[in-house]
Amino acid sequence: MSTPLIHIEHIARTYEMGGETVHALRDVSLDIHPNEYVALMGPSGSGKSTLMNILGCLDTPSSGVYTFKGLDVNEMTDDDLAEIRNKEIGFVFQTFNLLPRATALKNIELPLIYSGVSSEERKERAIKALEDVGLGDRMLHRPNELSGGQRQRVAAARALVTKPSIILADEPTGNLDTKTGIEIMKLFQDLWSKGNTVILVTHEEDIARHARRIIRIRDGKVESDTINPNPVTKFELP
Amino acid sequence: MNILESIIQALQSIRANTLRTVLTLLSISIGIFAIIGAGTAVNTLEGSFNSQLVAMGQNTFMIKRTSSIQIGNSWRKYRNRKDITYQQAKEFKYQMEGISLVSLHNETDGYTAKRGNFSTDPKVTLIGADENFFIVKNFVIETGRAFGLTEVTSSIPVVIIGNDLVVQLFNGENPLGQYITLKNQKFQVIGTLKTQGSMFGRSLDAQAVIPLTVFSRYHSDEWTSSIEITTKAYSKEQLAQAVDESIGVMRSLRNLKPWEDNTFEVETNESVSSQFASFSNYLQVFGLGSGLISLLAAGVGIMNIMLVSVKERTKEIGIRKAIGAKRSWILFQFIIEAITLCQLGGLIGIFFGVLAGQGLGSLISTEAAIPINWVIFSIVICTLMGLAFGSYPAWKAASLDPIEALRYE
Repeated sequence: MSTPLIHIEHIARTYEMGGETVHALRDVSLDIHPNEYVALMGPSGSGKSTLMNILGCLDTPSSGVYTFKGLDVNEMTDDDLAEIRNKEIGFVFQTFNLLPRATALKNIELPLIYSGVSSEERKERAIKALEDVGLGDRMLHRPNELSGGQRQRVAAARALVTKPSIILADEPTGNLDTKTGIEIMKLFQDLWSKGNTVILVTHEEDIARHARRIIRIRDGKVESDTINPNPVTKFELP
Repeated sequence: MNILESIIQALQSIRANTLRTVLTLLSISIGIFAIIGAGTAVNTLEGSFNSQLVAMGQNTFMIKRTSSIQIGNSWRKYRNRKDITYQQAKEFKYQMEGISLVSLHNETDGYTAKRGNFSTDPKVTLIGADENFFIVKNFVIETGRAFGLTEVTSSIPVVIIGNDLVVQLFNGENPLGQYITLKNQKFQVIGTLKTQGSMFGRSLDAQAVIPLTVFSRYHSDEWTSSIEITTKAYSKEQLAQAVDESIGVMRSLRNLKPWEDNTFEVETNESVSSQFASFSNYLQVFGLGSGLISLLAAGVGIMNIMLVSVKERTKEIGIRKAIGAKRSWILFQFIIEAITLCQLGGLIGIFFGVLAGQGLGSLISTEAAIPINWVIFSIVICTLMGLAFGSYPAWKAASLDPIEALRYE
């Protein structure tokens, strides 16, 4: 097997909340390899969001080891983490999290601005990313001029434009109707089949069934970590 | 990092909150306006003043009861001074005749000259003068003649009038030999003055010159009964000596003891311009002071609006951080935004300050001088303000935790 992209070993995350210590993650160990399609599942309060924040380098574990591409994340400064997020991780959020005042194109250019890409190349790559998600004709629309599915596709294009190692999607269909949800899942399927690594965070079985590997989290621990025997490959309306 | 990108973002966020932003900008504009306005006013007045000084002639100096330019509390110093009487002035003239040409005069404002159905605006300056006045003061006779010693000593009611009176009373007729009325007294016109234009917005052609004896008898009142003495040294070399001599003569005429201060002012071109310089410094310091105070208030406003903006855009900051914006980028973005805000306010202030200066310039009919040094100073100040008052909000924005910020609604 190839070297893992993500390697975590006995990580825990605690918060201080009103004098009480909350154990969001107790003892989690797992490896994720390139071109895996993983679903992180669990009810709310299970710690899956905390795990996702740590995997996405938005947060660091209180204890344990996290290496990303062999680099020790615990040793990193805020700016190092920002760089990892910028270059290696593409986020897709439940609420899209697009900048409301910027056009679709500008939203997609943003991560490239932070990685210092020249403005011509930026524009070129952003247009390409938009075309790849089928929104080549919506470049100058602002988020409020787009449908939910279109917004999520813009968000996906923004996540992809830096050619990250991982796509990290947090309840990507949570704010979408069934039909557009299926469209988005099809998009992830395509991305995975093109060689991307995709991590889905969800509490819906239907969504998780698209992934090839399902990790269930409960009470801050890994409850099960199994290969999905029959992943969904057909994208049809029920 | 891209400055242009940040400025565009700053302008966008300003446009998103136009009213709030404009109100904050206003206080910056007022501060800069005060600084630029005072600067423009000083430059303009200085230009006008200096060109008039050159016209006054180099070897002359004046002796007056009070100074021409009074600042602050100087009136206290002058309040108890006795007038320079006609007798004193005549004696002074007699004693100084050896080394200089002396002219005595007195003047009062706000007269209306009449002739039949014609009358002038009530802006005529009535000057009572002796026979040397025209030479010493560079008053050039255009037509007719000046009055002489006999007419002064015998109090003959003759008048030499400025161009405004010629135009307003005679309507193309020849004024020489005609009579005009000034405050119920008839005067025969014996000459007209060459046009002089205006100084500090006042026409120098609305003047009527009559013999000092006539003026003293009928037209002086308690404010204007002190004689002004203008002395013209015969040569530049004799000027210093003439000034010294005249101070000695004047002190003895006013019976001053050696330890007492002069009870009169001696004004040379240099002393007048240094007085003017101190006056313009006052104006500049005042403009600068009030401007800076207003800018301080504006700075607090800027900080406030930036803090509100950071709060409102918490989510946006979270998104930016999540997709890889480093602390420095967020810091930079908000500082640039604060500076852009300040510069915008500053530019508006500069624009209106210069405009006000131009207005003043046209009011006193001189060319307004834009104070480039003050404009540059204002731009620098605005940048520093943005930096000073934008830093804390920007630091706050940069220090936000990305997870908390993303969750913010």
